[in-house]
Amino acid sequence: MSTLAELVHDKRPARRSAKPNRSVRIGRRPIGAYICAALLMVLFLFPLAFLVNTALKSPAEFISNPIGIVHHPNWENFPIAWEMGNFGSYFLNTVLYTVAGAGIGTAIALVMGFPVARGYIRGARLWNALFVVVMFLPNALMTQFHLLIQLHLYNTQLGYIMMLGVGVGVGPLLFRGFVLSLPRELDEAAAVDGIGYWRYLLTFILPLAKPALATVFILQAVWIWNEIILATILLADPSKWPIATGLNAFKGLYSNNWALLSAATLIVAVPLMVGYVFIQKYLVNGVVGAVKG
Amino acid sequence: MATSSFPFPSRTPVRLSFSAAFAVLFVFALVPAVAVVVVSLTDLKGMPGLPVHWVGFQNYRDYFGPGHLPDNINAFRNTMIFAVLTVVTQILLALIVAVLLNRKLIGRNFYRSVVFMPTVLGVTVTALIWSLMFNPQGGPLQAVLNAFGSDSAFLGDPNIALYLVIFVQVWMNMGVSVVIFISGLQAIPEELYEVARIDGASSRQSFWYITIPMLAPSITANVLLGIVSAMQSYQLTYVLTGAMNRATQVLSLQVFQLSFGTRGGTALTQSQGYAASISMIQFLLVGAISLGTLAWLRRRERVL
Repeated sequence: MSTLAELVHDKRPARRSAKPNRSVRIGRRPIGAYICAALLMVLFLFPLAFLVNTALKSPAEFISNPIGIVHHPNWENFPIAWEMGNFGSYFLNTVLYTVAGAGIGTAIALVMGFPVARGYIRGARLWNALFVVVMFLPNALMTQFHLLIQLHLYNTQLGYIMMLGVGVGVGPLLFRGFVLSLPRELDEAAAVDGIGYWRYLLTFILPLAKPALATVFILQAVWIWNEIILATILLADPSKWPIATGLNAFKGLYSNNWALLSAATLIVAVPLMVGYVFIQKYLVNGVVGAVKG
Repeated sequence: MATSSFPFPSRTPVRLSFSAAFAVLFVFALVPAVAVVVVSLTDLKGMPGLPVHWVGFQNYRDYFGPGHLPDNINAFRNTMIFAVLTVVTQILLALIVAVLLNRKLIGRNFYRSVVFMPTVLGVTVTALIWSLMFNPQGGPLQAVLNAFGSDSAFLGDPNIALYLVIFVQVWMNMGVSVVIFISGLQAIPEELYEVARIDGASSRQSFWYITIPMLAPSITANVLLGIVSAMQSYQLTYVLTGAMNRATQVLSLQVFQLSFGTRGGTALTQSQGYAASISMIQFLLVGAISLGTLAWLRRRERVL
């Protein structure tokens, strides 16, 4: 687990697998492998490049020349799409939903996963079963809708955040697994020093478990920013929508104007990609950690 | 696992924070989930405040009744095709890509990042990118087909729409499987390959007799994650082809469409009780298939 960070960033030159061995042994450049890698890059990067190309066309140029390389870059699409799409407030909504929703889910994993792993709460077996059950809950759109109406939380940001927060997935199970690797003696030493449980949880376990909690947080965050259906059901007011739902609505309104639509898509995609560069290490670890945990 | 040696002076804070978290989980996750079972036995409508009647197993009888059966067989069939093809394609491609990107290629960190990127872009951006690629009026793939004297309606063609959605689903989610496989590949001890080489094993033999058996846990994880997400995911289908499209109708979308129609609103005609019964059928199906597959894969792991 400790070397997960090195998966993406090659810091382990000693580690080699079957394929490099062969090429080393035969002693030639793996040309076939580079061709495969190039094809793979085309498959993943061409659609993006084409999106950028389309976003730079004026509507007239798109009609006369839909697939060629853009001749007269038309930057106008971006401010127009930004204004029409109301993406500024959608962005703030998404940031709020992601941070609050994944924050609640991570807090649940922390305060439930730790005592269950330690046996500080009765019925560990039952709670473990619950952690598995929350991964497989049935599609409950209609009951979630009626529940929020009953609680007077329908069409409120708080209600939507609560529904996102409890979508914990593998979080509690994953965190429970991580706690098992922390020495029990630490709890005892802290207790002897007169440190209370909550302070212990926040000042000792939280820093120690940072990678595991980051994993839990990021897995839930990825789920949240792909969430579009609950948002349409639980939030009647479009100004409260997250950006994924907002972009989908924009698509419904301007489905014929591909240049504008591409610009709007890029407005949403670029911050995600910039963010990805920064959190890549945690994200990839997150996915790997979820499976091993 | 008993509540033995508790080192802290008081159990109250443990119980307080645990109960608070459980209460949130209970109210917002478990209550709606269990309520689905109850609702599936009623005639609950989308409009709140209408009288609700107990109808027993009528919704389940309706599901298999002649009025709904053609639609339901269609959605069921699509769900199974979607799940099987997505999982099989994604696992096979991800395995090949993982082996490729585990070689010492120049710039392989960049390749890995790019393959994982669609996961970050999310479902709406991905769907829009591929709607643009599949645009029948002058999209790039149409241009390729035209060059061969052919053309297609792509997502508008009911015969291939489902398969195109599967393609995009694999494009979007493959990076996750690749990352899981790469971590599995890196955990295989180098010595195994050296011993095999000394014994005169070809690289193909090394792959089949070392790599695949050693990867078994990663394969189990990938297949299971793939089945659960493929059988329950409908966001991509929703954005690419809409909720009402018969060609790509799957169980989850059926639940959404029957409960809420096309967008957000509520209507007198929406039978949420019936939708809940479909949700339960789907839940049992996902559970049975995941557990069955898990048991089978675990046995294979031991055999290997």
